[in-house]
Formats: sequence, C-alpha cells, structure tokens
Amino acid sequence: MPVYVDISRCIGCRSCEVACKRVHGGKGHVNVHMAGDHASVPIFCHHCEEATCTMACYTGALYKDAERTAFDVEKCTGCGLCQLACPFGVVWSDKIAHKCDLCAGRENPACLVSCPANALSTDFELASRRARARAAMAVARGR
Amino acid sequence: MIKVDVSKCLGCFSCTNVCPNQNITREETPETRSIHWKRCKEECDLCVEFCPAKALTLVPFDQAGEEPTITFDLVACKICKARYATEPMLKRIESSLPEKLQKDSTGLDWIWICPVCRRNIEAERATKQMVLGRTRKSP
Repeated sequence: MPVYVDISRCIGCRSCEVACKRVHGGKGHVNVHMAGDHASVPIFCHHCEEATCTMACYTGALYKDAERTAFDVEKCTGCGLCQLACPFGVVWSDKIAHKCDLCAGRENPACLVSCPANALSTDFELASRRARARAAMAVARGR
Repeated sequence: MIKVDVSKCLGCFSCTNVCPNQNITREETPETRSIHWKRCKEECDLCVEFCPAKALTLVPFDQAGEEPTITFDLVACKICKARYATEPMLKRIESSLPEKLQKDSTGLDWIWICPVCRRNIEAERATKQMVLGRTRKSP
C-alpha cells in the first residue's frame, strides 16, 4: 500500500528525504516542498491505480503488483519515457529509471519509520480520523 | 551497421544506454539533443531489439551510407520554459495513455509541463488549504 501523508503534521524537516536516499544508494524518491513559512509536504509516488508510467513503459519494467507500482531493474533500458509519463514528476531516469518501491524487502518504508512528526503512514484513513478527533476536541472545549 | 528511420526515432535514451560498445553517443545542450550512431560490426542487435519505436535496423556494412546523426530541438515546459524532452517522446506518451488520463482533475495538460513543475503544482495543491488555515491576518 502507498505511503499517505497527514500534511498538518509535516514539519518540513526532510528526514523522509534523507531516509529514502540512505536506503536507495543515494538516489532518493521523496521531495519535501515548502509552502512559504506555513506548510510543507513530501511529494512522492502515489502508486496510482491507473499508473501512467506503466502504460508508457514498453519493456514491462514498470508494472502493477497489487497496489504497488513496482519496478524491475533488469528490464529497464533507461529510455526515459516513464519519467515524462508521471503526472506528479516522481519517476526519475538517469541511465536507469528509479522510483519509490515502498522499500521492498523492509518491514515498513524507511521514510515512514524515520518521520519524527508521525506524519506518514500506510493507513489511508488515519489523517481523516485525526482531523475528526481534532474537530471533536475543539467542540468539547467549547471553541 | 545501423540504419535509422528518422521519422520514427523518438530521441530517447534507450539505444545509447543498451549499446555495450558505446557506439551510440548522445550530446545534449540546453536546447537540443543529438544522437549519433557510429559504424559497428553488428556483433549484437540490442539497440534494434530495445528501440521503443522500432526505428533501427541492421544493414550489411557495404550497404550503409554515412554514420547517421539526428538532432532534436527540446520542447520547452509550458510553465518554466526550461527545455526538458523531445517532441516525439511527449507525443508517444500522449498516444500511449487513454485520453482521460492526459489531463488532471483541473484540466491541466500535464504532459507538456516539465517534471519539476509537476512536483511544484502537486505540492501547491496539497498545501493550499493548510496555508489558508495557518496564515495569520495580523501578528
């Protein structure tokens, strides 16, 4: 399952970027963007249901593996089509394509584990549950 | 020796990457990309096999003309104007995706926007509500 972000918790520390680079041999797939002084958000692969990168890939190197958009390095020719076919700009190609693989082989993605603000999770509902809880607390306090 | 169908070549990185002898070279400037196919001894046909556009064929050495070179003008991003891809590559992506996926939910033609701007747009959208909520009207 993809990694979801609770933007209200992101503190823009870039720990996820560093963790991603650390476990992928220096090539990271997360970019933390700052929105002025007010907010920040990590941008990474959505593991789209209808993944356009897999449609552009003609060798089958990029493919859907259940919810994951997976990558087979052995089949990649480094043509660069997938990089141009990602609507979010989160597939890279330099000699060979690289993208988020949800840290295959690890129990949890490195970005998620290293986030000090607990902003990342693999639970789609978590962010909305937290938002509802915050709203309920505000009501209970009479604000 | 390699023969190139100029009308089919996308200007992608496939053949230069797969050639084991570095007989296919690529030169990039901020505005253009040139691909040059040197004479080779036809010891393999990896470039032919892996060409996404089937633009390459092997021909006997004596039938080959000059070493082919193709130069592409790179397309400028609609937003930042940085040149980021060849037109045939972007057209190829357009033709390989269903029409409904070629525009995002706001009707943006994302294919003609560079990957850097695509990430920026995504970040801007994701943080929009947050920024509004957190902006202080007065100190």
